[in-house]
Amino acid sequence: MLSEDTILMLYEITDVIIAGLSTGSVYALMAVGMTLVYGVTKAFNFAYGDFFNMGGYFAWILIVGLGLQFGGYVTVLLIVVPVLFAVGYGLEKLLVAPLRTREDWENKVMMLTLGLALFLTNLYMVVFGVRMKSLPPILEGTLEVGQLVFAYQDIMIFVMSISGILAFGWMLNNTRTGMAVKAVAQNPVGATIVGIPKERIFATTFAISTVMVGFGGILLSQKWFINPNSGGTIMVKAWVVTAFGGMGSIRGGLYAAFIIGMLEAFVGWMFGMSYGIIALFILLLATLVVRPQGLMGKGD
Amino acid sequence: MLKVTDLSAYYGEAQVLKKVSVTVEGGQVVVMLGPNGHGKSTLLKAICGLAEKADGRITYRDQEINGLATDRIVNMGITYIAENRELFPHMTVLENLKLGAYPKNARPHEKENLEKIFSLFPRLRERQKQVASTMSGGEAKMLAVARGLMSNADFLCIDEPSLGLQPSLRAELFSTIREINNQGKTIFLVEQNIPHIAELADKVYVMEEGHISFEGDKEEALGNEHLKEIFLGM
Repeated sequence: MLSEDTILMLYEITDVIIAGLSTGSVYALMAVGMTLVYGVTKAFNFAYGDFFNMGGYFAWILIVGLGLQFGGYVTVLLIVVPVLFAVGYGLEKLLVAPLRTREDWENKVMMLTLGLALFLTNLYMVVFGVRMKSLPPILEGTLEVGQLVFAYQDIMIFVMSISGILAFGWMLNNTRTGMAVKAVAQNPVGATIVGIPKERIFATTFAISTVMVGFGGILLSQKWFINPNSGGTIMVKAWVVTAFGGMGSIRGGLYAAFIIGMLEAFVGWMFGMSYGIIALFILLLATLVVRPQGLMGKGD
Repeated sequence: MLKVTDLSAYYGEAQVLKKVSVTVEGGQVVVMLGPNGHGKSTLLKAICGLAEKADGRITYRDQEINGLATDRIVNMGITYIAENRELFPHMTVLENLKLGAYPKNARPHEKENLEKIFSLFPRLRERQKQVASTMSGGEAKMLAVARGLMSNADFLCIDEPSLGLQPSLRAELFSTIREINNQGKTIFLVEQNIPHIAELADKVYVMEEGHISFEGDKEEALGNEHLKEIFLGM
């Protein structure tokens, strides 16, 4: 027979696993978005984490600010997803595209998006204040299976981010635009030759990644609050997941996201949440020592 | 159908094309010969909007196309088939072909063009599911030509189709190109130094150091001693 203490600990561990799975799934969503932009445009977007907050703030405006009653998160997503897409598309056309014809444009894009990140962080502080905002859970209540208790919120976060990734994967393989995105990633010259408007694909890719990280922001903000400063942390996490999984490898990013989600949950449970990010970097460094190209990177 | 007038093109600081003028009539096979690095490929790229910088006039069906983006030029019915193929390496044969039909004007014809291509290249039909990077050089070349045809183009710019092919495959490819021409497509083809290529041509140009050094029909080309010696390998 197991002692009462052991049983209690098993419950706690189950909780930790659930938490790891739900945050891991959102990390996966964010890592896929980041890998996508890097794979297609070969440019690094430093403002990526601030689009996470943007999703959260847009949802907050609708639910808390405007007191949206009808349809809950379904309505939120129907409104916020197109808005995020438009913001991403517009910013790419306005800020990134003009740089692409210049010399050393990759570094210029990094500098510019770093500036954009600082701008957005400060914009959020001015508009929404420095105090954190919270979002209501998608679904309240808990699911009880025997002695185990699962929050619907965690289940919903997991289901929705996995659905987001699957929808993205479907789009990539089954739509003309998705195939064009893959074509540009695999051979930009070949893509131009067959008549794919590369500029439009770059902007579309940027927009899709903005939607993915912003959607992640809506999901995780229910657990974590929306903080105008958190863009940097999110950016670092998304980058750690991407580098750990292997730059440009979507599959690697997925594995890495769940490993890191779990690691964070267990470290948080055993040592406290603030140790999570330290553990991430230890894991990343240890991995890169053995495999510089990441878990599944091609290592060119 | 296509008229290039006084075209100059540059590669960085170097001038590659020096006031080149070329005319291709509809339904013809026009072959441009010349040594490597003398500007033949640059001319094809300039026509397709792929050159870095090109000054001069290029008209297609009496419309100025110099300076247009490649996707607009492709949509007007000109396609470029690159010497190094530029396939999508991690996609299947079928996916490569379907992406060839990306231009708006090609989409309604996707199914019928695919059927035509499969009867033209039966091997591609057998290998629909094969990933492009695993194909042999000859097959990849065929796929590149086939992908170009998927754009529903009337005007094919083919850059050194025989490069790296063994003689038997080369002959096969040329007879396919002749067949494509018989189906009504106009072909502008660039080659380096291939015996008998002039037999395929209705018209022959020779490019040397960015200038057109010879222009004439097949008989004139075959009768020209200088050309025979240098380019036709006879």
